[in-house]
Order: sequence, then C-alpha cells, then structure tokens
Amino acid sequence: MIEINDVTFNYKNSAEPALKNLSLSIREGEFVGIIGTSGAGKTTLTFLLNGIIPHEFQGDFYGSVRVNGLDTVDNPPEAFCLTVGEVFQDIDSQMVASVVEDEILFGLENFGVPHDEIEQKLQKVLRELGIENLRTREIASLSGGQKQKVAIASILALEPRLIVLDEPTGELDPQSSREIYELLRRLNREKGITIVVVEQKIMLLCEYVSRLVVFHKGELVLDSLPRDVVSHTKLLKELGINLPRVSELAGRLMADGLYAGQTPLTVEEARAMVEEVLIRGRDGKI
Amino acid sequence: MAEMVKFDHVAFGYAPGAETIRDLSFTIEKGDFVALIGANGAGKSTISRLCNGLLRPTAGRVTLCGQDTLTTPTSRLARSVGFLFQNPDRQICENTVRDEIAFSMKAQGWPQAKIEERIASALDTFHLQGDWFPFERSRGERQRIALAGVLVCEPELLILDEPTTGLDYLECIGIMDYVKTLNEEKGVTVLMVSHDMELVQSYARRVFVLNDGRLLGDGPVNTIMKNTALLGQARVLPAQIPALALCFDERFADVYTVDDMEAVLKGGHPL
Amino acid sequence: MNLLHYTPGSSFLHRLNPITKLALAFFYGVACILCDSVLGEVGFILLMLAISAAAGLGARALRLTRTLAILGLFMFVLQLLFVRDGSPLLVIGNLCVFTSGGLKSALLLSLRVIATMLPLMMLFAITQMNDLCNALVKQAHLPYRYAFIVTTAFRFVPLFTTEFREIEDAQRARGVEFETKNLIKKIQLAAPLCVPLLVSSLKKVDASAISAEMRGFSRRNRTSGFKEYPLGARDALAMAFVAVLIGISAIFL
Repeated sequence: MIEINDVTFNYKNSAEPALKNLSLSIREGEFVGIIGTSGAGKTTLTFLLNGIIPHEFQGDFYGSVRVNGLDTVDNPPEAFCLTVGEVFQDIDSQMVASVVEDEILFGLENFGVPHDEIEQKLQKVLRELGIENLRTREIASLSGGQKQKVAIASILALEPRLIVLDEPTGELDPQSSREIYELLRRLNREKGITIVVVEQKIMLLCEYVSRLVVFHKGELVLDSLPRDVVSHTKLLKELGINLPRVSELAGRLMADGLYAGQTPLTVEEARAMVEEVLIRGRDGKI
Repeated sequence: MAEMVKFDHVAFGYAPGAETIRDLSFTIEKGDFVALIGANGAGKSTISRLCNGLLRPTAGRVTLCGQDTLTTPTSRLARSVGFLFQNPDRQICENTVRDEIAFSMKAQGWPQAKIEERIASALDTFHLQGDWFPFERSRGERQRIALAGVLVCEPELLILDEPTTGLDYLECIGIMDYVKTLNEEKGVTVLMVSHDMELVQSYARRVFVLNDGRLLGDGPVNTIMKNTALLGQARVLPAQIPALALCFDERFADVYTVDDMEAVLKGGHPL
Repeated sequence: MNLLHYTPGSSFLHRLNPITKLALAFFYGVACILCDSVLGEVGFILLMLAISAAAGLGARALRLTRTLAILGLFMFVLQLLFVRDGSPLLVIGNLCVFTSGGLKSALLLSLRVIATMLPLMMLFAITQMNDLCNALVKQAHLPYRYAFIVTTAFRFVPLFTTEFREIEDAQRARGVEFETKNLIKKIQLAAPLCVPLLVSSLKKVDASAISAEMRGFSRRNRTSGFKEYPLGARDALAMAFVAVLIGISAIFL
C-alpha cells in the first residue's frame, strides 16, 4: 500500500536530515506503531505518507514514496487525501469548524459527496465512533478524548484506506488513551483500515499494534513484532526508549540465565514468566 | 517537621454550586515528594494551582509556609514556589535563553550581580547555551529551559504539572533525576501531577489519590501502588511490577521495582 | 464568559436566516445612526434589550450593554471636553470645562455608540459563524476563501482566550505582579504575554491550514455546502420591521 524507497529528507535551513535513507513498506490491514526519541523523524514520516512532504514543506527530498503505486512527488497531496487520512498532533488547531457536525461535514462537502448521501454518511460515522450524542455540541466544550474522536471521525468520513495519527493520546489520561486505541483496533479489524500511529507510550503500542518500528536520529533501527522489538532491551535502553517494566525484568532474568521463554508485554504474561522461573527454581532444589 | 503546604477544609469551584474540589484537608511537610494521581478532571491541576495562589479557595484555607494564599499576593508566593507547566511554550517569552533564565529573578527583584552569577551556574547545570533562540529548540530543550528559569530562584516548593508530556524517555528521566537530587540533597519539597504510574513509582515517596475532587487515599507510594481497589476506584492502572508482585505469595511482599523482583527470583534459585 | 459566544436557542431570532440576522443587525445600527435625539437612542437601546429578552438572552444583552457603556463613557468624556458649542456650563476660574452643546452632543454620541454596537454584538449570540459564512457563500456568492478566514478567526477566539489565560498563569507563577493598578506598568507587563501567544498562534494557523488542505479545502466551491438556508416569511417580517425602524428614525427622531 505504501512503498518508501531510500528516502532522505532535509528540511530547509536544517543542518541534519530529518530522515536518512529510509526504506519501509506498509501493507494493507497492518496496525503499525512508530516509536523513537524526539528528533527521530517520526512526525516527518507521517508527512511523507500523504505527500505533505515534499509539497507543503520546503527541503531537499531524495528517493521515492508510492501510495497505491502513485508517486507522491508527481501527484499533488490532494490525490492522496482520500486514501490516506491524517490526524495531526495538535487536536485544537486541526479543527476547521466550531460544531461537531460541521467539522465532519467539511471534508464530505469539499470532495463533492452527493448531498442526498451526506446525512447518511454523517450518521454512520457518528455511530461508528459512538459519538451520536455529540453531534450538535461545540467542539470547544468537549474533553480531550471526545475531541480526538471527532478528529478521527472527520477523517473517517472520507473513508480512507489508511489513517495516520501523530501522538493521538499525548494529552489524554490513561483511560481515554485506551478508549482511542480500542477504537483504532476496531477500525483496523472490522473495516480493514490500515493504521499507522506515532506514540511515546510504549505499553499501549505493545498491547495494540501488530508491528512496531523504532526510529533513532532519522534512521530506522528496528522493525518487527512488538514482542521481538522489546526483547532488544539493551539496544532500546541505549537509544533512550522506555520499555514495559515487565519486559525489562524479562531481559534481566534472561541475562541471569533464569528464563529463556518469550518476552512478556503485560502483567498477565509476566505472571506466567515468574511462575515458570519459580517452578524451575524449586525443581532445581530437589 | 515543618509544614510546607496546608489545606484546611478547602473547597473550590469556578461557579457556586459547581465545586471541583470539596472539603479537602491535608498537609505536605517540608522535604516531601508527593505525587497527585487520578483521572482527568479529578482535580489534580486545580490543587496544584491552589498551592501557589493562581487559584484561591472559595471555602477553607490554604497556607503556604504559614502564609494564607487568600491574603498574600501571588507574586509574593512565587518567591517560595516554582511551578513548571506542562507546556513550556506558555512560559518562555524572551529571545535568548540567558534572558529567559533571568526573567523570574528580575520579576522578583534580585540584585544584578546575583542574577549574573546564577545564570552562569544554571546554564552549566542544564547543559544550555545562553545565546540560543529558545523558540527554535526541541521540545525537550524548551522544557529544560523552562525548568532552569524556575529553579534558578531556588524555590522551597517545586510544583510539576505533568512535566513529562511530549518528552521522550531520556529527556523525562533527565529532568526527573535532577528534581530527585534537589529533593534529596537540598530538601526541596516536590509536588508532582502525573498520569505515568511508572514515573510515580520511581520518584514519589507519598501519593494522593484523587477522584471527583475528593482525596480517596493518601499514603506511602508502595502502599498505594498495591492497593488495587483504591486505584481502581480512581480509574488508575497500577505500575506493572507492584501489580505483578501482588499475584504471588509473601516472599514478594516487599517487591516494587525491577531490581527487587530480580533479587527475589535470584534468591529462590539454587545457583 | 465570552461575550461573543453563541448561545443555542430556538426563538424567532435564532430561526432567522443567518443573512437576515446580519442585515437586521446592520440596519438596526443604521437606524440608530440616523436618529438625532437622546430619547430616541435610549428607546433603541431599550427596544434591543426587550427583543433580546424575548429571545431568552436578556441577561446577556444587559451584560453587553454594561461593557459597551465603558466605551460610551470614554466617548462621552472626549466629546464633553472637545465640543465647545453653546453656553458654558461649568467654569473653573478662567477655564471653561464644558458647555451645554458639549454636554448634549456627548450624551447623544455615547448613547448612539451603545445603541449601534449592541445589535451587532447580539448577532454573535444568535448566529453560528459557520452558518453565517455558509449562507454568505451560498446566497451572497462570497468567495469561500474569505468566508473561511472569517470563521477561522472567530473559532480561534476561545482557543486564544484559554491560551492567554494559561500564559498569564505561567507568568504570574514566576512572580510577575499583574495586580498593579498603574496602567503603564500593566502594559509593560503584558509584553511577556504577547510573545508566547504569537508563537503559539503562528503554529496553530499553520497546522490549521495543512489540516484544511488535506481535507480538500481547495476543491470547495459555492455549491459544496450541505446545509440549506432558505429565506422565508419570517425573514421578510424581520426586514419589514427594521425598515419601519429606519423610517421612524429618519423622519421623526
């Protein structure tokens, strides 16, 4: 679906390239998490997927990006915005309207959806995100989690095949963060929408994504299943990336020669690991 | 121990009848490291703003080092309280890092010679350069600049409102480790608002659990982290290792960190 | 509470076409400008308050009048000191402080400012900016680009108000004394508030533009809008009412 081929991008007036020799392909139906320290090039990557780079930001661009076979350099960003929807980092400033329904209508109206289908599509997307009750509310009066759902709804209304989200839970509390991820999982599983999400909260990523990509200083460092990625405890520590405490524990136990199974991601999985270590310890004694 | 902050039957609301904080009483001693936890809207930010007079109680009394916040101007309270906001961009207003760090000292009327001396040491401590244009630095650097500008005045109480939002793990650890040193070596009292239970577990000594403007629990961090019923009531997930330790017998009773867990498991092994 | 904030409702005024509301506010203002009598202006203010009260916005209109009165007072003092017609009314020593003509024209002008501004301010209470702009694009053929700039500006008002308050808090927490009564000092103190506000607004405007562009902003045209804003008997009635007001004002007042 997305083919990034040996891309290097350097923002105008910047000494270091934001992305270096990046090659990455994203397949239909994946749920990809992107993690890395600040300045790793995560946000730049999100701009690459829909042609915002090189069209809206000036800089030196090398390599190629193809979205469903279309090259992003040769085609304007508009050609991609129906395939790739993006939810930006700042929830407030990406809104264009002051009332929820107007926000969702904006894209539908612009892309010339026939007026007799609009109402139905509007209702459908509100229902899918469980925000029917917010339809006539002022956006300014909503909580952070609700605003994020409205932002997703306004993108989802255009029926994209891929949704990119840049730190969607940055200002949300743990409970609303989980709600957003539950929602993304549902869109991914039930509607087959491909999801790419940039996130700092590694524990959330590990629980929800099917593929985890680690960036460091503009380069792709790791790209694998979440469980495989977190088993590189030493490397991640060096890169300054947090990892679930239970995964860190597993790394220590493996180094001590006490455990050799798979790296746990959650407390539940860690419980099985500790039980195994305890049983081995007891059997060892006998 | 002397008291730093005292809340005495405090209530606060933006409109009468719509209190976000109700009948809240507690004391924070000098040298404490307290974390406020709870879901969004539980009253964490309100409490932190009541401490330094940004908000004033609608009922009851808040005292800071014995000064009643109702009768003491915020600018005076600011001399004893440093407040680091979630978003450094709301604080930074000067064109160079040097001026930015000097800003609070000037506002509080420090002598020029003292200001110069403190700027030099702050630049050094926080690995900053005085001639940087703050608005073009990274988020992590801006947060460091903001923190330097707050700490340069040597506050007795440091309030951190979700200090690590938008920071990566390294930047976050860098800031928190420094705050920890201040607390341990200089006895600076710390009040931190955070959603990150791993951070709370690693740094705080005492935890206030809030829900709907009320104090549900107040105790040592280790006790609170193992009180799953209490955390559940406040809609907060416990830190992973204490939660894991709860699944096992009394050998794990004192396990709170990865180190503790490793030690117990190693001990149980014949080698 | 924001004085320009929309207040939902279903009164006669609320249900008018957005363009009618705009015209109504504008022509009501014209009537007030045409009026040359102090009593007439007082009448217009009272009528506006009554109309607002009928739409369930009485308290809001009163608060607005109070705010506008500050502006009115300022105009009053200026006129009083600078208009020198008529006979001297207050003389201290050799200096004539104000005259009868000055008093009359000051009273008239300050009341006229309040009477003219009030309906325009009330317009925001009963109209969603989005609706007004959509209607202007659809029926008055205003280019969408301009309409969008106006709606965006209004949408940013509450965002910036919150932002401003938080910036002010951040500066107060650093010991800046905003509680001072000295006006010049106050203005000096406002400077540190402006820089962060400017920085954050530039970022917001940028982000907003990209987000709109990615949702097909440039493809939008006059017929894109989904909501319809028909003109009806209600609108004709409202326009007739304001025409009568202008007539009365021009001929009798």
